[in-house]
Amino acid sequence: MYIAEVILNKKESENIYLLGIKVSKNILKKFEPGQFLKIRLNEKLDPLIPRPFSVHFIESNILYILYQVVGKGTKSLSKIKKGDFLEFWGPLGKPFPRLKDYILCAGGVGVAGFGYLLQKNKKDKKYLPRKIFYGAKTKNELVRLDFFKKFHIPIEISTDDGSKGYRGFITELLEKEIQKNPKTILACGPFEMLKKIAKIAEKFKVDAYLVMETFLACGTGFCKGCVVPLKKGGYLHLCIDGPTLLSEEINLNGIY
Amino acid sequence: MVSIKIRNLELKTPLMLASGTWGLGENLDQFLTQQEIKKNIGALVTKGISIYPNEGNPPPRISETPCGLINSIGLENPGISVFKKIYLPKLKNYEIPLIVNLHGEKIEDFVNLVEELKEEKIEGVEINISCPNVEKGGIYFSSDPVAVKTLLKKLRKKWNRFLSVKLSPVGAVFEIAEICQREEADAIVVANTYPALKVLELKPFKVLKGGLSGPAIKPLTLRLVYELSKKLEIPVIGCGGIISGRDALEYLLCGAKAFQIGTANLINPRAAIKIMEEIKVLKDGLCSERYS
Repeated sequence: MYIAEVILNKKESENIYLLGIKVSKNILKKFEPGQFLKIRLNEKLDPLIPRPFSVHFIESNILYILYQVVGKGTKSLSKIKKGDFLEFWGPLGKPFPRLKDYILCAGGVGVAGFGYLLQKNKKDKKYLPRKIFYGAKTKNELVRLDFFKKFHIPIEISTDDGSKGYRGFITELLEKEIQKNPKTILACGPFEMLKKIAKIAEKFKVDAYLVMETFLACGTGFCKGCVVPLKKGGYLHLCIDGPTLLSEEINLNGIY
Repeated sequence: MVSIKIRNLELKTPLMLASGTWGLGENLDQFLTQQEIKKNIGALVTKGISIYPNEGNPPPRISETPCGLINSIGLENPGISVFKKIYLPKLKNYEIPLIVNLHGEKIEDFVNLVEELKEEKIEGVEINISCPNVEKGGIYFSSDPVAVKTLLKKLRKKWNRFLSVKLSPVGAVFEIAEICQREEADAIVVANTYPALKVLELKPFKVLKGGLSGPAIKPLTLRLVYELSKKLEIPVIGCGGIISGRDALEYLLCGAKAFQIGTANLINPRAAIKIMEEIKVLKDGLCSERYS
């Protein structure tokens, strides 16, 4: 485990925070977009298991994480302050596949890990997405929009309540786009959104890479706890085979 | 840390990596160097190996509870043949004692497994008796002293290297421990996880049944280690909720000859190093203090 100093833990919306931790450049350079790190609040027994987070972006020697408070782990994390220290381990998992001519689709805080993907590829434009689809429940939860706009990639927006952009689910906009212009999809967001995207991909015969989430204990392949069923039978282990998996290979109905 | 000897098994340190908490060594060397492994880890205890491959349970397999973890992995493993061919050669490269944890559904399975391992250069086997015996209607070996006695009698005829039995912390614990001693097991590992349940969702009602591990169980297992070490001669290897040097030292002071770390490996893949460093600091402190 590495020890890192917290330099920022700022509220971006009601439940979403931006955390910045100081990390040595030797460690930072190992991180590829799509990989994750696990964070543990020092020596705490409850919550016991470190929580996984994607890298939102890296600037100088600061690693930024965008997270939503959903349970005990993220609630504890939201209470730490600038100058505190935390333990982390990473990079873990496989990077995103190296895609060209593709579309990004993010639901809520699922947008987090795409920041680093854009940042890392901004000089090599063929690896940037053609379009970004970004949906959230409300306008307030569409966090970090200004950050994503800086990459000059067309962004389509939706909110469930219509407070900004299209009123409805982002998958509805995505489906229209794929119908017109079939492309590979890279998606991260709520499980129901990923299930819908798997269906869209099947319908229009495009590949969809889904960034999956499940409770991870070790994150290192040690415990075999985070299985995702394969359509052909057997399982993948999300922490070492993922977290990004090709939708046509996995049985999403066997997960929950 | 001085090396220790449990019957014919020599360990450089009393720390062992518990079964099922470091896979089958596929990527252990991503987190620990060869030198760190040799210096800090006394022995590796593999994931439970069965006769046939087992793909394990469907998800969810794991969930956190206060200060603990419930798992129901379902003994996912590649089976003894693939284990020997693919995994064992790499495990031997770590050059530290290797103990293969064995899982069977009937007595014959365990006998066949030790037969399969006879020609292999491994230091010992650990018998997992927290599994159902299909020949007796699924009653757990750990709840059936007669079956454990028969099992050990048969295994002892076939296997003269180190043999430990991993006890369940529930059921006829003391009776089974006495049988292990009488039937000449070399050590008992005290203990496996505790049968537990977590309610995952209220509506629709959904539960996870599995084994509880982690700091939540430490006081319970520590008591078992203390009592069993006092009562019996057979060496006790403590295993239950150790995540710090202090925890490990408590087990040793309560009578354990060695200890295994499990959940700690899931929290931190370098837990073995951290724990051994902490033990050293604690021991130095204890030795330097004067007591009147």
